[in-house]
Amino acid sequence: MPPSLPQFSAARARSYIFRLPLFTRCIILVIVLLWLVSLQSAWDVQQWGALIPKEIGLATMYRTNTFPLVHANFFHAFMNILALTPLLERFEAEFGTLTTLALFLGPLSTIPALLYTFLERLIGFNTTVLGASIWAFTLLAMEAVKTYRTNPHFTIGTTQIPTWITPLVVVLFVSFLIPNTSFLGHCCGLAFGYGWGLGYLKFLAPPEWILRWIEGKLNLLGRLPHYVSVDQKTYGRYGVLPTTAPADPTSSVLLRRNPIILKLPPYLSFLCIVIGVAWLLVLPLDNYSRRTYISENALLPAQVHTYFAGSDQNVFRGYKREVDALGERSNIEVNDKLEEFFKASGLKVARQSYEYKSAGETYAGENIYAILHAPRGDATEAIVLVGGWKNMDGELNRSGVALILTLARYFKRWSLWSKDIIFLVTADSKAGPQAWVDAYHDTHQSDKVDSLPLKSGALQGAVVIDYPFDHRFESIHIVYDGINGQLPNLDLLNTVVSISGHMGIGASLQQMWHHSDSYKDRLQTMLRGMMNQGLGHASGPHSSFIPYHVDAITLQPYGEGWQDEMAMGRVIESTFRSLNNLLEHLHQSFFFYLLMQADRFVSIGTYLPSAMLVAVNFTIMAIFLWVKSGSPIEKSSKVGSTIEGGEKQPLAIVQERNAKALVPAENLAVRERELFLPLAVVAGSQFLGVLPLYIFNHTSQAMLHPIFAAFTSINGFFPLILSALITHYFAPTAHHYTLIKTFSLLILGLFLSSLATLNFSLAFLVGLLSAPLTYVQPLPNHPIIKGILAVILSALSPTTVLVAGCWWWELSVGEVLKEAAFGWDVWGMNTQVVVWCVWWPAWLVGMMLLVGSPMEEKVGVDGDVRKAKMIMS
Amino acid sequence: MSIDRRKATLFGAAAAVRILLFTSFPGLPELLTARVEISTPVTSFKRLQEGLFLYNHNVSPYDGGVYHQAPLLLPLFSLLPSSATYPAFTYLLYILVDLLSAIALINIAESGEAVSSKLFTSPRKGKRWSSFAIAAAFLFNPFTIATCIGRPTSVFTTCAILHAISKAVQGNSFTAMFALSFAAYLSMYPILLFPPLALLCYDRRKPLKNPELMYSFVIGNAVAVGGSLYSLLHMSSLITGSWEFLSSTYGVQLLLPDLTPNVGLWWYFFIEMFDSFRNFFLGVFWIHLSSYVAGLTIRLRRQPLFVLTLLLGIFAIFKPYPSISDTSLFLAMLPLYRHVFPLMRYTFLASSTILYATLLGPAFYYLWIYAGSGNANFFYAITLVWSLGLSLLTSDALFAVLRDELEVERPEMKGKEIRQI
Repeated sequence: MPPSLPQFSAARARSYIFRLPLFTRCIILVIVLLWLVSLQSAWDVQQWGALIPKEIGLATMYRTNTFPLVHANFFHAFMNILALTPLLERFEAEFGTLTTLALFLGPLSTIPALLYTFLERLIGFNTTVLGASIWAFTLLAMEAVKTYRTNPHFTIGTTQIPTWITPLVVVLFVSFLIPNTSFLGHCCGLAFGYGWGLGYLKFLAPPEWILRWIEGKLNLLGRLPHYVSVDQKTYGRYGVLPTTAPADPTSSVLLRRNPIILKLPPYLSFLCIVIGVAWLLVLPLDNYSRRTYISENALLPAQVHTYFAGSDQNVFRGYKREVDALGERSNIEVNDKLEEFFKASGLKVARQSYEYKSAGETYAGENIYAILHAPRGDATEAIVLVGGWKNMDGELNRSGVALILTLARYFKRWSLWSKDIIFLVTADSKAGPQAWVDAYHDTHQSDKVDSLPLKSGALQGAVVIDYPFDHRFESIHIVYDGINGQLPNLDLLNTVVSISGHMGIGASLQQMWHHSDSYKDRLQTMLRGMMNQGLGHASGPHSSFIPYHVDAITLQPYGEGWQDEMAMGRVIESTFRSLNNLLEHLHQSFFFYLLMQADRFVSIGTYLPSAMLVAVNFTIMAIFLWVKSGSPIEKSSKVGSTIEGGEKQPLAIVQERNAKALVPAENLAVRERELFLPLAVVAGSQFLGVLPLYIFNHTSQAMLHPIFAAFTSINGFFPLILSALITHYFAPTAHHYTLIKTFSLLILGLFLSSLATLNFSLAFLVGLLSAPLTYVQPLPNHPIIKGILAVILSALSPTTVLVAGCWWWELSVGEVLKEAAFGWDVWGMNTQVVVWCVWWPAWLVGMMLLVGSPMEEKVGVDGDVRKAKMIMS
Repeated sequence: MSIDRRKATLFGAAAAVRILLFTSFPGLPELLTARVEISTPVTSFKRLQEGLFLYNHNVSPYDGGVYHQAPLLLPLFSLLPSSATYPAFTYLLYILVDLLSAIALINIAESGEAVSSKLFTSPRKGKRWSSFAIAAAFLFNPFTIATCIGRPTSVFTTCAILHAISKAVQGNSFTAMFALSFAAYLSMYPILLFPPLALLCYDRRKPLKNPELMYSFVIGNAVAVGGSLYSLLHMSSLITGSWEFLSSTYGVQLLLPDLTPNVGLWWYFFIEMFDSFRNFFLGVFWIHLSSYVAGLTIRLRRQPLFVLTLLLGIFAIFKPYPSISDTSLFLAMLPLYRHVFPLMRYTFLASSTILYATLLGPAFYYLWIYAGSGNANFFYAITLVWSLGLSLLTSDALFAVLRDELEVERPEMKGKEIRQI
């Protein structure tokens, strides 16, 4: 019989405790009582009862009997009772209460105790021992010898290990693992136990006729409850209890084949999508979003008095006239003039020229920057004030550059800077900042972009001014999206919002010029933010800084109001004073957030589940399809086959301990899956994604639009061709299609959940757009539905979505593709990789599945489908 | 082994893929060399360059405290033209080592030891992959390719271990022991493979007239390992001029002074550890690692090759400085047990877990180190998932093999559900 571990059941435990025989109960009671007595301090029970080798004499012989009953503490007593009870119960049931009483009050305690005392005295120690563990080991040794008789070895590998050594192993374990246990004491117990078990000590048991005589005279069996008679040995009194293991129908096999559970996953994954979207929609509510707050105490925003006013306004006007005069001059002439101004302010100036090529166009220019060395710093840290000569829309940043020049002159006068300040004027707002930041961190391609002749310390933050008009403004528009959806630390944004708020200037985000704090406006701000993040492009000169872990934002004044350029200057001054206070890099606040308005946000913990749920939907479906692909082949005429066909299905017996059930043998089979073709198809389509990625990033601007048109039209019928080819050459069955879908969805889920940690919005958008892929399957018998679904699915292809997006935002496709290629070449943007290597392959496989026509499966001896194997796992 | 046309094509294709990756993406080798998943402090190619520079300038390579690899690698690499100026030679060396490993793997697969050892023959022995498929699975495994491009010195250990096993299944016990001691010399932990490897040699040795006793055979092999190991170490001390290299190479493996993150479980644990407990837990971790050897060797006495496979899997999880190179070695051996795959229960779960960890690992490392928006816990959580996936795979393979054995011992249990207790 293989050993089996009975499941724990309360009813059995209770009946076991009620069945404990008399002597066992008494011993437990005595141990508990002695422990209770030892709680008081008047009489030291342990000192009285313990076995102390040096104190054993004729008068103190009682100790050899009392020591197993006395324990050191509750834990000791409890553990020993736990160990002793089952062993003692078996012993008593076998030998009877009277024999047990005689043995345990006599030789079973005394002989090991005397042996121990003798050995201790021999080696000159005097270790006190206490507790019933010595009995436990004695009994264990007896049991072990008994087991050895019936079952001499157990086998591990090819090695046979005699069973009688188990107690020795236990003794070693106990002495290693439990502190303050007496190895010698336990060994003495074991020695007696082995002696008894092997029959050398049996003479110690009182002769049976005496016991019978006593029992008969006193009528113990009638008077004492739970008494075990000498006659009724070995369970005689109780018999063997029926093992009442309940049938357990919810075993793993039956669960796995449960039809209800097998139907669940598609609904579950649909539920995931619905919850994911709903989750996002409730975020703007007051209960789910939070008000922003400054985490970094050192920032102290708007706590300083700003002095940028008065005569500096005249300086500003002068600089602006100069900037206006430079107007449309060449880059070099502009920089010559700017260099003069910076030098006149007493700053070190340097220039850097760069040249990028992308989509057949050349982007060249020269950046100029000046460094203000901190009077109180050691040039290990720096803050950057940036202005593009031209802003993102190509307008002249006239007031912005003038303001930078004025602030450079103004900041130079102050002695309180502890960080260097770099004033950077880039030739344009797209390539220039990238060239400068790359070169600052020495990651530029040195043949196209010059190295920086002058450097300062680690950049702690960057603020960009984009101020192209010269009238008064109403509020400040803050742009914060970085490349690939990275964001600056929320503290930087909060600082600016709080400073401008103190000065009575409003702040707005995501071109929401009039934010009414309604649900709709909040949602719109959030969705615009997600769109920018998802596209992953640069939204201002600051974007290039963020990948280098430099927190940066762009400030754009807008509207008609009564704030003048000096107010803007004071905002910058105050922001720089705050950044100047920083003791370490901005790290306190969030790096992952969605903003609803300037002072309301949700953090990653709150919003991430929505993207994860959308990604998980694919994984759930993949797991479901995998399980399904392992289930046996479905017969085409399955309905009522058992009744009408008259052919009996083979039945198999499922045994669950005592419960047996007849189930069709088919249900238990696990089918051998054929992985090669599905893996090849999925891997192949993943690799195909490299093709559009390469083409669209390495085509000249003029060709982008025609190539895109060609690609879109090819994309329309490419899946049809591919599907036809596969059908022709490999004749895939429905089984193959299921596996193709499994792997495709698995990979999609995998990529999207990884992506969700890097760029939440992109993962969410792609997940949502490819959600229908969860439900596509070949529909060979419904050509009309197939046609309709194919049209719908085509509408969700990456190319169609791109065209629709361009139409919606009134952009030209060629421009968008040019921008994307620029992003790839200059900014290191990788949205394209996600589109072409994650989304497009998944869509391609989905479309192929939809138009695929699976072959009829043969349930043959050999051929395509191997016979389903009878494997229960 | 005769190399027929198919195998020649396979080797050619594998080499071509690697050469293509080396040449068409010039930044890739540097990028992968810097990845913590591939390069550990004891195998990193960058650190090897540092050691090589010091060695070539007649400074002890261990003086910088950066180089922790075996001294004999230095003369080998200084024979090659400098990898900074002529990287092609280094690339070719690493490609060659991968192909040599594949040859050893083919030998192991062709011996049929996996399905039918001396003491045990699987009832499923008909269902196995050809040696060609197994070698292809090794050579085109993305982990193997990434390891080859990242050029850590662990590929030499991999090659030595595979050759030790390959020689053992051919019955050349002395060569096998020499290969094992070379592997142990390079990375130390392979010495733990000695017991199963000696048993494998014993099972596969050529039948003699008067068969040797197992104990004397094992002792003889132990002496062989000890002898060759000593001569390697002595050569090392002659090269470096002192025995100091011992503490810089094996001492680093044993005492874990370098806590650079890797895919294993040790670094984070010892970062968090109070210094007073450090020695105790070092002991515990090493005992834990080595405790599998005895148990598995005894329990799976009939299939020593599987013990080796399983131990390689366990080392890939629990050794002090693991990398994906160790995983690729385990994944190279696992297809030998194709016949028990139908008995495994969690293949999909385990492989999905490993895939997820493969993608999320670099993402979280990026968030921690570059973006600054994550922290060490992100990456450690993913290494836990990675180890979970691998341990699922190992334990499931063990289950399948035990189940396979059970069905031979007790044919009536075939196809019945069993419960492990």
